Amino acid sequence: MQTSEAPPVPQSMDEKKKELRTSLLFKLRPIYPFIVILAIWQVAAMQARGNQGRLFPTVDAIVYRAWELVTDPLFRALAENPNLSFLDHIWKLLESPILLHTLNTAWRLPFSFFIAAVVGTIVGIMMGRFAFWESFFVPLLSVLLPIPAIAWTPIVVIWSGIGDQTVIVITAFASFLPIAMAVWTGVKTVNPVWIRAAQSMNADKMTIFRTVVLPGSLPMILSGMRIGLARAWRAGVGAEAFAGIRWGLSAGIFDAQEYLDIAFMMVALGILGLFGFVLEKVLFQPIESRTVIRWGMMEAMGAQDKKV
Amino acid sequence: MVTKISIQNLRKIYDTPERRVHALEGVNLNIEDGEFICLVGLSGCGKTTLLNMLAGFVEITAGTITMDGKPLTQDYDKGVVFQEYALFPWRTARQNVEYGLEIRNVPEEERNRIALEYLRLVRLEDFADFFPHNLSGGMRQRVAVARAMAFDPQILLMDEPFGALDAQTREELQALTVDVWQKTKKTILYVTHNLSEAVYLGNRIVVFVPNPGRIREIVKVDLPRPRDDLAPEFIRLQRHVNDLIRDF
Ligand SMILES: Nc1ncnc2c1ncn2[C@@H]1O[C@H](COP(=O)(O)OP(=O)(O)OP(=O)(O)O)[C@@H](O)[C@H]1O
Ligand SMILES: [Mg+2]
Repeated sequence: MQTSEAPPVPQSMDEKKKELRTSLLFKLRPIYPFIVILAIWQVAAMQARGNQGRLFPTVDAIVYRAWELVTDPLFRALAENPNLSFLDHIWKLLESPILLHTLNTAWRLPFSFFIAAVVGTIVGIMMGRFAFWESFFVPLLSVLLPIPAIAWTPIVVIWSGIGDQTVIVITAFASFLPIAMAVWTGVKTVNPVWIRAAQSMNADKMTIFRTVVLPGSLPMILSGMRIGLARAWRAGVGAEAFAGIRWGLSAGIFDAQEYLDIAFMMVALGILGLFGFVLEKVLFQPIESRTVIRWGMMEAMGAQDKKV
Repeated sequence: MVTKISIQNLRKIYDTPERRVHALEGVNLNIEDGEFICLVGLSGCGKTTLLNMLAGFVEITAGTITMDGKPLTQDYDKGVVFQEYALFPWRTARQNVEYGLEIRNVPEEERNRIALEYLRLVRLEDFADFFPHNLSGGMRQRVAVARAMAFDPQILLMDEPFGALDAQTREELQALTVDVWQKTKKTILYVTHNLSEAVYLGNRIVVFVPNPGRIREIVKVDLPRPRDDLAPEFIRLQRHVNDLIRDF
């Protein structure tokens, strides 16, 4: 499609090697700040002695603890019975608390976000298309949007008890609001010239909606989904802790507080951060680069990289 | 010659809460089949309004427009080229040109063939699979022209289609427009601010004056094509139109 891809210029081996090295170094650049922070952490933690050391573990201690958390049940089982089957290996791994916490968060969050995305899109489209639903939802959403979704936790707990359902309701609700708002704005603000162009070719209303309004508002819809996901993430993690459920990364973090298990908390926090990063990479970036960025409706994320 | 469009005693009043604008008054115009009509006049004299009424975007306050003797319906076939950039960014050049054919349920293969044919007409067949944002401004307007023509509309309405382009590109597209018009024999209504463009393109030039918007005079252009914009006769006509626009 693109003509900008010029045929590769033949290069000498040296140049190629150099290019490879610089590009690898270039790609690893986002990691440097973490290395710096970890180094500072390590030096500071090494100053701590005795009981203080337990509260401020070194980086290697955290890494070791992470390894221990993941493999402890497996190794204990292996000590009892050295010839476990392959399936038993996996089974035992899954008994490790940190993995259980992770898995619980890992399905609840995308599930809640998915519900929010579907309902939010439907409501947003209804608001954008029908004046009645617009005047119905706009005041509601405007009042609800500024309330941090976590504040609903006690009420939802009382209504629906402690458990997955509570976390899911709060997470989905938190992320539904910005998605509905964004879809509504997107549908309302589609460039009127596109609609006129379609009208001039005698497209009917339904066709215009399908072929012009939807693709035309995709940039807004996607950015709404992004905000929705961030909100879901925050609310979900908070609700896990406040709703008092047993399994979930932040539930685990609050548990670990009682045992002063700093290493566990750091590992869980790291996984939380990684999660958001992976969702961004596997969900939003591929969709965006295939649609709005390809169509020139949004500046490519990569373009910013190149300017730096 | 057959009368294609007949406009009689057309009036347009925009009633907005803040003010009442008398945009057009007593407009009478007969347009023949296959004619190239240019509309010129100062800003605000109702050229876009007239075009929008012909396109069915704006309601008529009083008067009639008939086409082939029948009152104008909403959904007759007309191709519109807008001054703004109006291509769909999510469709390639060819998919943009295919849009009107899709609306008319033309089967896919034929759609493809016709779209390419019109892209060839505006000399963009090599760019069929480009998205608009990868095309230059002039190329985009050429795609827009191809899109407006691909479903074979009876008339073409163009509102300052090349106004935003640089002088060289504009001249090139003017020549292309004449070329396309001569090949397809469509009826074209073309709004422009540029008097040289009007004299270069039109069979007749309709001169509007404002407050309320009305026709001052209709100037016939009998110069042979291709026209030379430095010929004395060309310049004389251009000056004449210029005088008409300003002194009223
Ligand atoms: N939708 C509208 N509502 C109210 N007034 C309008 C509307 N559209 C146009 N007008 C008014 O009608 C008059 C004619 O406008 P129109 O756009 O037809 O002029 P024009 O000849 O195309 O001007 P230009 O050369 O600047 O494009 C102007 O005074 C304008 O303010
Ligand atoms: Mg205008």
